[in-house]
Amino acid sequence: MTLRIRLSVNGSAREVLIPSSRRLIDFLRDDLGLTGTKEGCGVGVCGACTVLLDGRMISSCLALAAFADGAEVTTVEGLADDERLHPVQQAFIEYGGAQCGICTPGQVVAAKALLDEVPNPTEGEIREWMLGNLCRCTGYYKIIESIQKAAGHARL
Amino acid sequence: MDARHSHRTRAHAERLTGGESLEQFEGAVLSGVNEGAHFLGLGWVRDAIRRIAGFDPFPGTLNVRLVDRDALPRWRELRRDAGLSLTPPDTHSCGGRLLPALVEGRIPAVVVIPEVTRYEDEVLEVVAPVRLRTVLGLRDGDRVRLEIATRHVVVGKPIPRVEGSEKVTGQARYAADVRLPDLLWGKVVRSPLPHARILRISAEKARALPGVRAILTADDLPPVLVGRRMLDMPLLARDRVRFVGEPVAAVAAETSDVAEEAVALIEVEYEDLPAVFDPLEALTAEAPILHRDAGAYEGAPKERPHPNVQSIQRHREGDPERGLRQAARVFEHTFRTPRAHQGYLEPRASVVRIDEAGRVQVWTCNKTPFRLKEQLARALELPSERIRINPVPIGGDFGGKGFSTDVPLAYHLARATGRPVKMVMGYTEELMAGCPRHPSIITLRTGVDAEGHIVARTARAIFDGGAYAAFKPRPNVDLHGGHQAGGVYRIPHFEAESVCVYTNSVPSGHARSPGEPQMIFAVESHTDMIAHELGIDPADFRRRNLVGDGERLATGHRLERVKARETLEAALEAGDWRAPRRPHVGRGLAMSHRFAGLGDARARLRLETDGTVRLITAIPDTGTGAHTVFRQIVAEVLEVPPDRVVVSVGDTDAFESDAGVGGSRVTRVAGHAVDRAARAMREALARGDRTLPLQTEARFSVNETGTVTSFCAQVAEVEVDPETGCVKVLRMVTAHDAGRVLNPIGHQGQIEGGLLQGLGLAMMEAMGAEDGRISTLSLGDYKLPVTKDAPPLTTVILEDSVGPGPFQAKAIGEMSISPVAAAIANAIFDACGVRLRDLPLTAEQVFFALQSRGGTR
Repeated sequence: MTLRIRLSVNGSAREVLIPSSRRLIDFLRDDLGLTGTKEGCGVGVCGACTVLLDGRMISSCLALAAFADGAEVTTVEGLADDERLHPVQQAFIEYGGAQCGICTPGQVVAAKALLDEVPNPTEGEIREWMLGNLCRCTGYYKIIESIQKAAGHARL
Repeated sequence: MDARHSHRTRAHAERLTGGESLEQFEGAVLSGVNEGAHFLGLGWVRDAIRRIAGFDPFPGTLNVRLVDRDALPRWRELRRDAGLSLTPPDTHSCGGRLLPALVEGRIPAVVVIPEVTRYEDEVLEVVAPVRLRTVLGLRDGDRVRLEIATRHVVVGKPIPRVEGSEKVTGQARYAADVRLPDLLWGKVVRSPLPHARILRISAEKARALPGVRAILTADDLPPVLVGRRMLDMPLLARDRVRFVGEPVAAVAAETSDVAEEAVALIEVEYEDLPAVFDPLEALTAEAPILHRDAGAYEGAPKERPHPNVQSIQRHREGDPERGLRQAARVFEHTFRTPRAHQGYLEPRASVVRIDEAGRVQVWTCNKTPFRLKEQLARALELPSERIRINPVPIGGDFGGKGFSTDVPLAYHLARATGRPVKMVMGYTEELMAGCPRHPSIITLRTGVDAEGHIVARTARAIFDGGAYAAFKPRPNVDLHGGHQAGGVYRIPHFEAESVCVYTNSVPSGHARSPGEPQMIFAVESHTDMIAHELGIDPADFRRRNLVGDGERLATGHRLERVKARETLEAALEAGDWRAPRRPHVGRGLAMSHRFAGLGDARARLRLETDGTVRLITAIPDTGTGAHTVFRQIVAEVLEVPPDRVVVSVGDTDAFESDAGVGGSRVTRVAGHAVDRAARAMREALARGDRTLPLQTEARFSVNETGTVTSFCAQVAEVEVDPETGCVKVLRMVTAHDAGRVLNPIGHQGQIEGGLLQGLGLAMMEAMGAEDGRISTLSLGDYKLPVTKDAPPLTTVILEDSVGPGPFQAKAIGEMSISPVAAAIANAIFDACGVRLRDLPLTAEQVFFALQSRGGTR
């Protein structure tokens, strides 16, 4: 079955025809070419496919594209403001929060969602919020540090 | 005490030199020709030394001839580059340079490099505020230790990652992100049985499915076998499957959904064969044989005492039988570790396109592209120049991304359809048919004398290799961990045997520090058990047995500049080893060592017309930060700002060969290639060569391990819940004998990431299996550490200038993973008296051990 959906992706309005079974991640990556969103585990555990749906984190590998009808989707490609990186992105570069980079899009999207909700999180809050974003390279220390620094930056 | 001492001298030297790092040299005193006295009598020379070094020079030099074979190139490098100018007031006088230094770790001095000298270049002229011969009581031929300051502007600094911006914005394009016109999706039909004969494959229903473009079985492919070293694996199973998950047929279709549907429609009839899953059982006389004549495979080791043996690795030093007979006490323990996945979050992905010229264009997450090209040339029966591997970043490797994987199948599907084909594994396929870390069964037998010295050890490690040996790259098709049964100790009589065994399980492959976390868990648990049996503090027992400077490891490998003791003391101090513990809290200690890797590498530099320096490397980006280190090396040597250096990865047309990533080789081997290319460019510029673009190229190759290794010591502190057996890691300390750290962010990232992988192996990671079927088939079932599992961590870095890499770097990537499990197991014992010999160290194990003993001690 084919569905017509209207949604906004990173600020641009779109109206598309999609198979009803199309996953949001495949729609973003294969139909729109937004390959910044990564598929890791495919079962909603690793967080590499994290995107924001109306500002709330979801695993795009578990959501159908049809689920985003009428919603605003933000992917990693939509975080930077023109050429200016989001403070979270900047901090991940400066403090070593990214290594191989495969989990990074999901990490920065999740971290942005955290800072939108809790502008000045404690280390415990960061650890709690980021539980669903696996990283195999960093051991998490520099991801936590990057988010702390970004929070400091965001406050300024 | 040693660590504190070196810290103090370092601070002193930093005051003296303004924060540069120190390089160590040793020389023998020789008599001079008394020219120094004249030179130092010159007013402007004395003034310059006063200004730079802050002391009045004694009017005479101490002349020292370097004694180490490897010191001369380091000194020549310093002589050429480093130091502060000693500019004469007029053009008649002879100038030179000064290098601030410390003599015997305490006397501030300078090494004078006159522009003109009578001495050969291995003689150093040292000037101090005092007459060194008198103060140190030196005579000709006596040894004297010098630490000479170098001045690095970029190397050693926390420069952010070259490719950081692409990674945080989602612009970095990995293999699965490659989009081509007319792309088809490839999928694989996998065996549901661990050992079976294939009777019939019927694909009619699948072929009839709209959107299916090709279906291949072994009959459609040439009968080639593939492998990284030993070629024992078919592209698709031919007549027989040997593990659950083995590829049996391949499909190409318009979408991934159709491809998956087609896979489900392909019917395969099998006839069950007896299977074997336990490696010990596989070595019995009655065991089913997996490969009728494994010895006939290309690259197969010749020694094959049982048909199910993949490889055997042996070491023998001294007379271990006699050593054990003469020992005061002998201890024997057996340890087991499970199958574990590398856990990279990028499932393996490959894209193949046959272009208009008939060239095979490949995009795949392979960390050794030049070796892959050669492997593919054989597998595809094509000349290697017809194959081109295009660089893509790799979303985590940890040892697992060195094999050709699906590329040959994607090629055959592309050939059959005339269209490009993409194959991306799902994570279930990764867990079912990846190339996990070898499960192991390790038995250690150790004899100690009455004073607590280890006198002899025999070790036997059985590694479950799974159904094929194809994923192992070492010439002996065995694991590096087999070398490590002696640990960091001096053991005069030693025998170790490590055996990789065929079983009807997923083929095992390389994983960060192949075989070492398994072996070090056994060795360092065993060490602790012996210490407790002897009633000696585990730290003291290690102190008694640690390999020392100029001594040999159990394998007979002689070491120099050994910092085992300093590394241990640093970890103990940071870990408050002697501090009192709360009830149910314990501390554990473990150590390991590792050499930097070997291989060959190439690098090319281009100075562009806009002033950019472009480095072309053959090293793919696996996330370690290697490209950033390369940028620093180029910037340092050419004295340009780091952002003027652009790093790009060459495809396999760009160079002839390169060993690629693996075995802790990149900084040492490729780093030197980059350094050489940069020096060649600097020399060209110094000659006045200004034709732009200016290009230089260098190759570096090393085949000898050398005498310098790197040590790691860790202390774990845990709390055990006596009711539930739950283990909480309260903190970890990891101390590293690190050589020169080239980039502290990247270096620390390697330590932290490795440590948490070690913690995963220690506490949770285990691939379950029932009759050869992996039961942990998603990352929901196969647990990787999450944010909350990362314990408070203290890192101690002991820097010095004796590493084999450029700027005296040592390897770090495979260091911190190995000791973690033993440190935690030893801490659990310390906390509650329960000794666990099997990984992972679960609450269940602790609980049942406590139950059977009836409470904590």
